[in-house]
Amino acid sequence: MVTTRTASVSLAPMDSTPSAAPARAINVPQRNEPAGSARTLIEISNLDFFYGAKQALFDNTLMLDEKRVTAFIGPSGCGKSTLLRCLNRMNDLIDGTSIKRGTIKIRGVDIYQPDVDVIELRKRVGMVFQKSNPFPKSIYENITYGLRIQGIQSKSRLDEVVERSLRGAALWDEVKDRLHESGLSLSGGQQQRLCIARAIAVEPEIILMDEPCSALDPIATAKVEELIHELKKQFTIIIVTHSMQQAARVSDKTAFFYIGKLDEYDDTRTIFMNPKNAQTEAYVSGRFG
Amino acid sequence: MEPVLNAEEPKPFAIKKTRTRFLGLTLDETIQTFFGGNAFVAVIVLALITLFLVKEGAQFFTQNRASMTVYRQAGLEYVDLMRQQEEDHIALTRYLFDVRMQAIRQYTDAEGLPLADANARLVAFDEWSGQYSDAIEPVRGLVSELTDVASAIKTKFTIAEDKAIERAQLLDEGKTEEAAAVVIETVDFKTELAVLTGTLPMFKEASVDFAGQLTALLPTAPAFSDAVLQARMDRFVALTRQYLDGFPEVVRRMETWDFEEPIPLARSFTGFIFGRQWLTASFWQDWYGVIPLFVGSLMVSAVALTLAIPLGVGAAIYVNQIATAREQRLIKPCIEFIAAIPSVVLGFFGIAVLGEALRALSQFENLHWIPGFPIAERLNALTAGCLLALIAVPTIFTLAEDALNNVPRAFREASFALGATRLQTIVKITIPASLSGIVSAVLLGFGRVIGETMVVLLCAGNRIAIPDFTAGVTVFFQPVHTMTGIIAQEMGEVVRGSIHYRALFMVGLVLFVIALLINFIAQKIVRRYRISIG
Repeated sequence: MVTTRTASVSLAPMDSTPSAAPARAINVPQRNEPAGSARTLIEISNLDFFYGAKQALFDNTLMLDEKRVTAFIGPSGCGKSTLLRCLNRMNDLIDGTSIKRGTIKIRGVDIYQPDVDVIELRKRVGMVFQKSNPFPKSIYENITYGLRIQGIQSKSRLDEVVERSLRGAALWDEVKDRLHESGLSLSGGQQQRLCIARAIAVEPEIILMDEPCSALDPIATAKVEELIHELKKQFTIIIVTHSMQQAARVSDKTAFFYIGKLDEYDDTRTIFMNPKNAQTEAYVSGRFG
Repeated sequence: MEPVLNAEEPKPFAIKKTRTRFLGLTLDETIQTFFGGNAFVAVIVLALITLFLVKEGAQFFTQNRASMTVYRQAGLEYVDLMRQQEEDHIALTRYLFDVRMQAIRQYTDAEGLPLADANARLVAFDEWSGQYSDAIEPVRGLVSELTDVASAIKTKFTIAEDKAIERAQLLDEGKTEEAAAVVIETVDFKTELAVLTGTLPMFKEASVDFAGQLTALLPTAPAFSDAVLQARMDRFVALTRQYLDGFPEVVRRMETWDFEEPIPLARSFTGFIFGRQWLTASFWQDWYGVIPLFVGSLMVSAVALTLAIPLGVGAAIYVNQIATAREQRLIKPCIEFIAAIPSVVLGFFGIAVLGEALRALSQFENLHWIPGFPIAERLNALTAGCLLALIAVPTIFTLAEDALNNVPRAFREASFALGATRLQTIVKITIPASLSGIVSAVLLGFGRVIGETMVVLLCAGNRIAIPDFTAGVTVFFQPVHTMTGIIAQEMGEVVRGSIHYRALFMVGLVLFVIALLINFIAQKIVRRYRISIG
């Protein structure tokens, strides 16, 4: 049974590089953290979310673990990105959005209470976007932006953070000689790692990744995934992905969403090899989605 | 059996054109030609305008040279050399009068003396300044006498030229007898000028006498106890010394002056571009210098942009980045509607409301600490500039808002996700990313302002003179004339083909070149901006 399911994952139509997939898919189970060994960091309970009058999330409840990678998967329009953007209140920037019911607590603090400073929240909960979006500034300026807006001007401190962040994002060796060139001069994969470096420069606790590899080629994707493994030693990572291979490769736990509802949430290994729900099984085995 | 036959003889591969043609063109081609023709009309019209402006304007230089040649040959230039001495003296006398005004203010305001007492304290000063201003008399007499002589020579020459034209016209019409009857009196400049140049010894004598009087007066210059007044008086003495030192140079130039020396064409050009006087229909000599008009246009535009940049860019930032959807729906059409107000209505508003209001405001005692208040002229560079700002705001607003809109949403999101406030995001990300677009918006606003005619014609005061920049900020309360205004005002009255007519064309050409440059630079900047966003 087990081997059959693993093989079916590798054949999922999402993957742009079927030839690279089988070897990786086999890798999956070994790299996943054992379940139940981590503390809960984020508690989402009974969340109903609306875009204007249209409800996008229905009664979602799930607990996310500290210093683990959690993947949100599901077909397009299932609400996984919406939920992700609720976690640092990026949805506040869109007119007419509202949470009608339910709470999101990080370390027990409800982040939607009126007395919450959204700016502070976003410093703690960093984000990496689907399309790499470095500012039209130098590499150095890109990374120090988050610190400068907090008023940190000390050159030595900034230099130190730039090196640490770039090393953290496995980009230091590639760009150390051209820190003052435009961030837009980098290749797509490098730009995305620059965005990751920029996010970790402000030392958040949580990093949200919204399909970080969807615009990257397989080699660049492999590098970012490698990076995610490194990053989870320090950060709690939540990643939205369309690629089930990716979810299988990088995450410890996986949540499957379907039309705004959490369908199944469990250890990644369980979700891919022994899903309880028929819908989940159909999706992870590539029968729909 | 039939299907088999069909298989052996395949259908013909019919791909030949079969469309009907009209004048050798298919329907598609006709439509293409129509659209292409419309597009090229713009190119052709621009080329025609340029050609027309250049053709009409270029002849100005030969005409201007002819005019300058007469100015020299008829001896007007010679007399002006002398007159310069007189005019400089007048300027110095005015300075002296200004010092007196300041002294009176000092005595009445600061020391609280009644006006009569203040005047009494200046009796010695008045006597001295009277002597100072009378010293010029011998030179002045000579200059005014020679002015008549020189203009008589010029008139004579002008009449002779007119007669020659008349004869040529008659000959053209075949009226030989009438043509022969036209008497043309040839002007021999050399003999005519002998009267003028013969007066040089007299001028030298008068000049030396005058210089002697001033030099004698200087040591007895009245002194003031007040430090500021004394400083101005010292400055006056220094200026007079400088003036006196220039005397030998005047004489030297008069001695070496030669009426036959030709005037280079370049002089005619520089005389226009750098000319500090625009003087038409003068009994003496017409000057066509664009500088007073250019400075007027620049000053009015400077006022307009100083007001319009913060208003336009500020409004664009607010509407694009901060405003709610409802505010956007209110503000945007309002600003864009301003562009729809006819400029003549704005000009009317400027005269009737803004000019009056500014002057009424400047009458308040409490506001007299503002430099330039109370305003002497109701219509001035500031009034016109304020209204022009209204005209520039919609242009700047619309284009700047476009530029802000073009900043990818991803930049803003990334900034917010890093914990930036809305203001930090605007200042550090959105504005820098759209800066080149904003700059080109401002440039195009400038182009809009410098080309605007009606408002400046109605509200700028239309005094053709370079404003007195020594007056500091209050220079903006002085009336000015502009390049656009002068064309609108004078084009209707000039004789077609005359030098004045051509001069107006040249002004138009200057405007055209400025507009072209502004648009070119703005486009360059925008293009660079597009590339940088990728």
